[in-house]
Amino acid sequence: MSLIGSRTAILILKLSPLILPFVVLFCGGVFLTVCQSLGIFTPLPHTGGILAAYNIILSDPSFFASFGFSLGVALTSAAGSVAAGTFLAYRVWQLPKALAGAALMYKIPLILPHIAVAFVVLIFWSQSGILSSLAYHLGLIQSMPDFPNVLYSGWGLGMILAYTLKGTPFAMLLILALLVRFDVRQIQTAAMLGASKRCIFFSIVLPRLAPAMHTSFIILFLYSFGAFDIPYILSESRPGMLSLHVFDLYFKHDLARRPEAMAILTLMFCFAVLFIIAYSKTVTHLENGVRKL
Amino acid sequence: MKLFSHTLVLVLLFSLFALPAAILLLVGLAPGWRFPDLWPAQFSFTGIQFLITHQDQIVSSLVSSFLYSVATVLVTLGMCLTPAAAFARNRFAGKRLMEALVLTPALVPPMTFAMGLHVVFIRLSLADTVAGVVLILALFTYPYMFRALVTGFQTLGEEYRVCARNLGAGPVTIFWRVELPLLVPAMIAGGSVVFLVAFSEYFLVFLMGGGTVPSFTGFLMPLLASSNRSLAAILTLIFLLLPILLFFVIDGSLMRSYRKKGMV
Repeated sequence: MSLIGSRTAILILKLSPLILPFVVLFCGGVFLTVCQSLGIFTPLPHTGGILAAYNIILSDPSFFASFGFSLGVALTSAAGSVAAGTFLAYRVWQLPKALAGAALMYKIPLILPHIAVAFVVLIFWSQSGILSSLAYHLGLIQSMPDFPNVLYSGWGLGMILAYTLKGTPFAMLLILALLVRFDVRQIQTAAMLGASKRCIFFSIVLPRLAPAMHTSFIILFLYSFGAFDIPYILSESRPGMLSLHVFDLYFKHDLARRPEAMAILTLMFCFAVLFIIAYSKTVTHLENGVRKL
Repeated sequence: MKLFSHTLVLVLLFSLFALPAAILLLVGLAPGWRFPDLWPAQFSFTGIQFLITHQDQIVSSLVSSFLYSVATVLVTLGMCLTPAAAFARNRFAGKRLMEALVLTPALVPPMTFAMGLHVVFIRLSLADTVAGVVLILALFTYPYMFRALVTGFQTLGEEYRVCARNLGAGPVTIFWRVELPLLVPAMIAGGSVVFLVAFSEYFLVFLMGGGTVPSFTGFLMPLLASSNRSLAAILTLIFLLLPILLFFVIDGSLMRSYRKKGMV
């Protein structure tokens, strides 16, 4: 009994460098966010009921517009990144050894910070940008305003482009890591049995890549849902990402509105956690339905 | 035909991922490059001149970013080393749940816990200090280090440890002389991601550093939105080059030390 007890004690001791900061700082941080959203520990004494901030937020239609907008930008860019990343990773994996080294350039956006990728999108896609000049020389447009206003379309296209440009190499990285361990003989066998290229990709390769695709989708989706850097540079005025909304409430309004910022953060946190749980449940459910080799 | 499609893939990769860097170089050298010119009408060195006149500020923000990012790597390493070993080697109740839980800080929006902590950091006088910045960055990035180290310990297996113990080595010797050298690749893999995330993070450094902790992203941010695109482009290129340089140095010194020990 005491042997088990001491083993558990040693285990807890070994885990503590991780568990302690997790509980104290991470859980504590979330706890304080929730508290402040309820008007506790706020810099100014809180007036109104405990749910006052939530009432203000949830009765404001612009919150739901922002929420939907953030969701749309995050979903589109994450899905785009995973689709492009899967395709490109598969093609890179098929490259002969002599060319594989050159393919390493896909890692460049991984090194660039998000704000720099936003800057690249700005240089390429603004109406006075590179692509606009190219369209002019190709005779597609006669003057600058003819070029579609991609960055300020109201659809968050600039942010979607930036997140996809940054996210695609990330998805490629995770998927290539799986492909490296992939058994080529499975493909050779299928080809010998007469499977088409499309069939090989969709029935043999894709199911093997699913775990990496799911992981990268969750990470990219949640990141673009809640991050601040790219929206700060490429934002359009309305409806705007939730993170910008929080930033404004936190830094640009008086302290009395702090609980509102914290209420939005609490809702974002709850959404993120629910999303992770729901997504992993669905994936396990789907995978259980698929026949395993 | 096959070669053609392979070339097409490389061209696609180039235009998506490498061309932006090449364009940044052009933008950096041609401040007057405007629509509808496809190629800059003239080049100038005003961006570089600004770089030289403001070199103190630029170098200090670069050094500061570099140092707090390296410190973040070291802190995450300290946080994850023994827990990763314990996770890789033991079975215990609630392990999967615990693993999922400790990875959440990298998944949920960092704002949600960082802004709550901000008040406490201010009370503890950690706000506006390098320590505060490192702490919040470590909290956001340790999951990458943790994942890499767990995988590292799993690939390592038990054999080396058992063998060393049979030869009479104590736990400390086993760790220092046997396991740590073999774990270096995993540490570098995790450390590179942690370094990159810390080095390129803007918001958390802005929040906890409060402007008193200089950072390269903080220096770059206002320039990106300004009309001086040339300077922003040059600084972005520096951003690209510094980590590449760092990885080359680490890779080279690692190979040298492995060769010295006869491991390669």
